[in-house]
Amino acid sequence: MNNRIDTTLKADLKKFGLQSWNDCFHCGNCTALCPLTEDANLFPRNSIRTMQMGLKDKLMSGVDPWLCYYCGECSDTCPRDANPGEVMMTLRRYLTSLYDWTGLSKKFYTSKVWELGAILLLGGMVVLAFALFFPTINPELTADGGVRINSIMPLQWIEWADWTMGIIVAGLLISNLMRMYYKIAFGAGAVRIPLALYFKEAWQLAFHFSTQWKFSKCDGKRYWLWHWLLMSGYTIMFILIMVFLPWFQTEEIFEVWHPQRLLGYYATFGLLFGLTAVIIGRIRKSNAKFKFSHVSDWLFIVMLFLTVLTGILVHFFRIYGMPMATYYLYVAHLAVLVPMIMIEVPFSKWSHLAYRPFAIYFANLRKAAMKYHEKTEISLATT
Amino acid sequence: MANFEPKIVAFLCNWCSYTGADLAGTSRMKYAHNIRIIRVMCSGRVDPTFVLKSLREGADGVLICGCHPGDCHYHEGNYKCLRRYEFIKQYLTEMGIDKKRIRLDWISASEGKQFAELADAMTEQVAELGPCRVRSIMENVT
Amino acid sequence: MKDSRIGVYICWCGTNIAKMVDVEKIAEDIGRLENVVIARNYKYMCSDPGQDLIIKDIKEHELDRVVVAACSPRIHELTFRKALENAGLNQYLFEMANIREHVSWVHTDREEATKKAADLVRAALKRVSYHEPLDKLSVAINPATLIVGGGVAGMSAAFRLAEAGKKVYLVEKEADLGGQAARLDLSFPYLNTVSSFLQPLIRKVKEHKNIKVFTGQSISEITGYVGNFKTTTGINGKLEDLEFGHIIVATGLSNYDPSPFKNYGYGRLPDVITSIEFEKMLRSGNIKCSDGKPPRHIAIIHCVGSRNENIHEYCSRTCCATALKYANQLRATFPGAGIYDLYADMRAFSKACEELYTKTSTKDVMFLMFDPERSLPEVKQADWKDECNMLIDMHEILSGENVEVPADMVILMTAVEAQKDAKDIAHAAGISMCGNHFYIEKHPKLDPVATTTDGVFIVGTCQGPKDIPESITQAWAAAARVLAGISRGTVTVEVTTAVVNEEICCGCQTCISVCPYTAISFNEEKNVSEVNEVLCKGCGTCGSTCPTGAIRSRHFTDMQILSQIEGMLNEGKVKETHKILEEA
Repeated sequence: MNNRIDTTLKADLKKFGLQSWNDCFHCGNCTALCPLTEDANLFPRNSIRTMQMGLKDKLMSGVDPWLCYYCGECSDTCPRDANPGEVMMTLRRYLTSLYDWTGLSKKFYTSKVWELGAILLLGGMVVLAFALFFPTINPELTADGGVRINSIMPLQWIEWADWTMGIIVAGLLISNLMRMYYKIAFGAGAVRIPLALYFKEAWQLAFHFSTQWKFSKCDGKRYWLWHWLLMSGYTIMFILIMVFLPWFQTEEIFEVWHPQRLLGYYATFGLLFGLTAVIIGRIRKSNAKFKFSHVSDWLFIVMLFLTVLTGILVHFFRIYGMPMATYYLYVAHLAVLVPMIMIEVPFSKWSHLAYRPFAIYFANLRKAAMKYHEKTEISLATT
Repeated sequence: MANFEPKIVAFLCNWCSYTGADLAGTSRMKYAHNIRIIRVMCSGRVDPTFVLKSLREGADGVLICGCHPGDCHYHEGNYKCLRRYEFIKQYLTEMGIDKKRIRLDWISASEGKQFAELADAMTEQVAELGPCRVRSIMENVT
Repeated sequence: MKDSRIGVYICWCGTNIAKMVDVEKIAEDIGRLENVVIARNYKYMCSDPGQDLIIKDIKEHELDRVVVAACSPRIHELTFRKALENAGLNQYLFEMANIREHVSWVHTDREEATKKAADLVRAALKRVSYHEPLDKLSVAINPATLIVGGGVAGMSAAFRLAEAGKKVYLVEKEADLGGQAARLDLSFPYLNTVSSFLQPLIRKVKEHKNIKVFTGQSISEITGYVGNFKTTTGINGKLEDLEFGHIIVATGLSNYDPSPFKNYGYGRLPDVITSIEFEKMLRSGNIKCSDGKPPRHIAIIHCVGSRNENIHEYCSRTCCATALKYANQLRATFPGAGIYDLYADMRAFSKACEELYTKTSTKDVMFLMFDPERSLPEVKQADWKDECNMLIDMHEILSGENVEVPADMVILMTAVEAQKDAKDIAHAAGISMCGNHFYIEKHPKLDPVATTTDGVFIVGTCQGPKDIPESITQAWAAAARVLAGISRGTVTVEVTTAVVNEEICCGCQTCISVCPYTAISFNEEKNVSEVNEVLCKGCGTCGSTCPTGAIRSRHFTDMQILSQIEGMLNEGKVKETHKILEEA
């Protein structure tokens, strides 16, 4: 592992949101009161130190930034106002860009031009595709008084487009995840992990993925709830669209208490509630975690918000029989959703849905492996 | 002899060794309680009769401390003391007194720790020899 | 034993003595002994009420001797002697027993400690009845002052004294005045140029009519005593005799040579330099590597030679702030360079130095910490494909990693040391050195610029590592002391000197041969030795040499010491009156 001091790293990290790099003088208060840190992974001080010294290899082979959930207590108590929480956030952005082999992630994080440009490009492509190939909607209403939404384009084609997008995005994310694994498993301080442990610890992966339980340890149940609502809303929407699109995007208008509508409303509510809470938080800078907002933070929130908003309007216009409005909002909806998915999932903030649970998984694998090695050494010694 | 606690009279010169013993005190160093200190201005003041008187009055050992050679506050007093010390040792041996009961050492003003160690070493050294019988013999004679 | 009326006072010293010594019991037991008129125990004998107690008892009980058992006589003997004087009793009719530094602070068994303290008190008791009244001698003070060393401390003291109208002889061994300060570029923490205050000071000193400057010369021997010292200095055979009343030693420091330190590569690698060598670069205004190019990476390493049990255990005090100064100067000169401060601790304690650290930490200076007890950084030559001339291997303890630090230039913050000839000056002036060859002050708190030799003061870095403001402060303090002495006009000389009983003296002249001060002369007429009281320093060597006992070392006579031994080793006779009371 290259352990040479590198002064250029901190300059690079400025674009990823690093405020000041030398305020921390390593008193260790942050690590002492962090509710999520443990002996096997002590953070945030050590990560800050690694960042200060520019030890990129050590940074890449560690998972500590992903184990932090930005409760912000460290930033609140730091005697030097060095914002350790924000440093960890910066490192998460940086690692995301390092895991990505295309180089696009780095471009999106460091250049507003690139990120906005990519969004506009993809959005523009969607609009253009509709303008050229699906320019109309059947103005006739259904028997219920609803809009014939599936007259814009064949539902099957949307499904195929969705799956294509999903496969591309998932492929990119998984390949980046493999790079993350490779760096960690074969980086410095790596421990040989017996195959059996991979299966034994896998339940942790599923558990943390679905509950984000670490949040609650962090700063009580409130933020965990917000985030869980947001996540569950998004997940339900995702499943409805990817797997059950024909059941979800119908021209038939069901009763309000029909599962199709209830699920949709719950998902919308979850998304809106979470998003609103975050937006208000970021505007008022009410918490340490909301004090600093990188461009990538806002873009992600804004795009998701617009997606939800346009989705609500599409639903509204469809039910109340306004075909042209439905058409335009539908195009708008897709023009926001596609760039958001294509950019955020493999290259930007969304990727945390993979990196975080896997980071916990890798950290636990390492812990279990070390315990395993200790036990075998003891049993070998006693035989 | 298990519980024999020797009595040791120590002559310390004012400028170096007495100051060094004071330093051992201010540094709260702990050492054997058997030492009784008498201050002289210079180790050169120590007359052989002082050593004899100490043993006659019941001391089991005598310790003399002066400045390190070359550092005597009065230039050469410690060298004179050194000469006398050699004479005293010889004299005591001829009188049948173990010359290990008397010891000369150099302690500077900054050597508090060394003084404490010396006090312990001297106490041990004399304890091993057992009580000095000069006084008891003299008292029986007179 | 002679009949005396003795007052004995056992001090508690708060809990310092009383905690380990049963002072009340000792007072009680001592009170029963012969010749003890009154025996008291009291919390703080050195306090005003404590001393008043003695004065009152002397008057009321007509005491003619006083014994105080308390701390070391080196601390309060003078205090109590003054009390006796105030009561109208000669101050030499007093003896102190040291039951604090020599008993309560160094023993752990209360019973044994009390026994030992009692022994020491009885020793003092027996001795004091052989004390004689002595009168101090007054001698005139020569108002001139000798200052050895023309650095910032020596010059500051010289200027102060000269401005007060007193004559000063300033002797400097180098060719120029200025000392270590003249080798510096800027000073911390405000980064002002040293020459801006040093050059005016040098000029003022050179031009002052009351200061005679001798450069390129040193002092080899000083004779005399406070108020009346003499020395000879000169160059190229031209000698000059100087007479003065006080001496201020301001000989300064020297810089540690890190060549023996293999891991730093000094002397082996051309771009490893010491802090003083770097100052030279700064003063020339040209910072560059040995190949003439500007450095892209500069590393500063703290504690080179300091805090090392094999070299110097002490901390050199000024290097941390100086390193911060260098970091600031380097950043100002090379905005894009990598600057690394390899420190063991960041000791920026002087006024405005913590602020200097905070300021420096905003200048993109990387602070890397090593543990000097565990492993020191190692400087090695870099590979040709590396982007730097050297690499430093260090175990960085804030991260727990072994890292490599790139460096084109390495600045070693070398320790300060005592001067190589410190011993010679110490012998000449009659002052003591500690283990590191810095000079010892009389008492770090009660008398920080004086020495145990009256009339000789030590100022500046010859006493220990310190910065310029501290040196100047000490210099002015010593100047004030000297002026106080001169303004008194006379100084009292200790009369615990030797005196010859002409009736017993056989004229063998043995005492003359052993006196180191040639204070004894032979009177051809009377065929006896005679002591010059002013030259005699009271060492007592003659007293123990005299075969007839004719020469007596006053206040350390044979009788006094022999009775002290007796008192120490015997129980002491109880008063008749007490015996009757006890038998009843």
